[in-house]
Amino acid sequence: MSDAITEQFSAPLTFNWTLSYRCNFTCSHCYSRDEVAEELPTAQIKQVVDVLAKQQVPFINFGGGEPLIRKDLLEVTRYATDQGLNVSMNSNGWLLDHATAQQLKDAGFKSVGISIDSADGASHDDFRNKNGSFERATAALDALHAVGVKTTMSSVISKINFKDFRSLLDLARKHKVTQVYLHNFKCSGRGFKNREDLDLTPDEWRDFYVEALQVKNETEDLLISFDDPVIASLPGYAENPLVKGSSCGKLSLHLRPNGDITPCGFIPLVVGNILSDDFEDLWYNSPVLNGMRNKEAKGKCQGCGAYQDCLGGCTARAFATTGDLSEPDPHCWK
Amino acid sequence: MAILERNPQIVWRNEKRREAQVLQKLEEGGDADDQGTVILLISGMMHQLNLLGGRIWNLCDGSRQQEQIVDALLEEFDVERDELATDVDEFIQDLTKRGWLSYV
Repeated sequence: MSDAITEQFSAPLTFNWTLSYRCNFTCSHCYSRDEVAEELPTAQIKQVVDVLAKQQVPFINFGGGEPLIRKDLLEVTRYATDQGLNVSMNSNGWLLDHATAQQLKDAGFKSVGISIDSADGASHDDFRNKNGSFERATAALDALHAVGVKTTMSSVISKINFKDFRSLLDLARKHKVTQVYLHNFKCSGRGFKNREDLDLTPDEWRDFYVEALQVKNETEDLLISFDDPVIASLPGYAENPLVKGSSCGKLSLHLRPNGDITPCGFIPLVVGNILSDDFEDLWYNSPVLNGMRNKEAKGKCQGCGAYQDCLGGCTARAFATTGDLSEPDPHCWK
Repeated sequence: MAILERNPQIVWRNEKRREAQVLQKLEEGGDADDQGTVILLISGMMHQLNLLGGRIWNLCDGSRQQEQIVDALLEEFDVERDELATDVDEFIQDLTKRGWLSYV
């Protein structure tokens, strides 16, 4: 057996799929709230699933927009799971009562993530611009657990929660969540507009990760995940990710509601369309994807001893702030 | 002897292009023992199987006994049966201990 991952995969492992940009919330950090795209009808969505099944993409994660806005979500999920795909989604939880939770289970969802940004209900509601959203989100976690669907909790780290992230972990425990994603802040969409108010400074990011990694290493009853490649530049960081640097374009891709493919939801560069282009040609030959896979150190990354591990950090953030995929991640503290 | 079956909880995939590259390398007389052609995703970790391991993995589909797997492999690999049978046995014992394969 060989465990070294050095070559390109034949397809992504995960498609993060925005079925719709429509949402019943207007969150302060949302990357997509101002995006508009035509949505595919159900029949064409099933054609997309066929392509993913043919390419042996094992995981689909529906995001958004709010996935439950789509009336055909259950039908599409059932269609995908029947073809052996593992389907999950991220939701704000507002539309997810006990009956819906049961329907999600019956449709075959492997897990459902609920976004919660603060353990303090008022703070969460304020951040999400929706009164009562905290109560609904936690109720959704309970409903999913009650029917036997694995739950995760997604929390975007920002000024409002980075100092008391432990309370988010306690909240997750209280609601029987199995995994907490402490997402890094992306400078896209409203996240870009509200960056000054919400994003941490590079030094704050470093201090947060040092502390959060220590908590993660000491925690046994809860999986804690980060998805930030800039962590790899921390001295002594010992985790072994499947790929170095951003996973976008290497392990995952993003689908827009109209079938356009982008490297991730935070990079607005369309590499092609899943229904009208040859997928394998896009996957292997897209200049954008190959640019992300073969970044060259620029700026302060040149000569940095950590570059081989972090590969410049988050490509989406670099692109959002400089327009160049290879520029250093603005969160980098080095 | 019992039928061999993959753990249905394991997500896995044949890596088509890598397999083509390995076959090309072998045809040119090279060594590709450490190159993965099948990936397994288990508890958030990825593992890779080389060409022979990947072939065995694919054949453990709940329809074959170990001897039948050796028979099937002999059609592709130009090696002595005893030598191949030993390699197959070692691989299967390893993966059954890990819980990735089982006898049914």
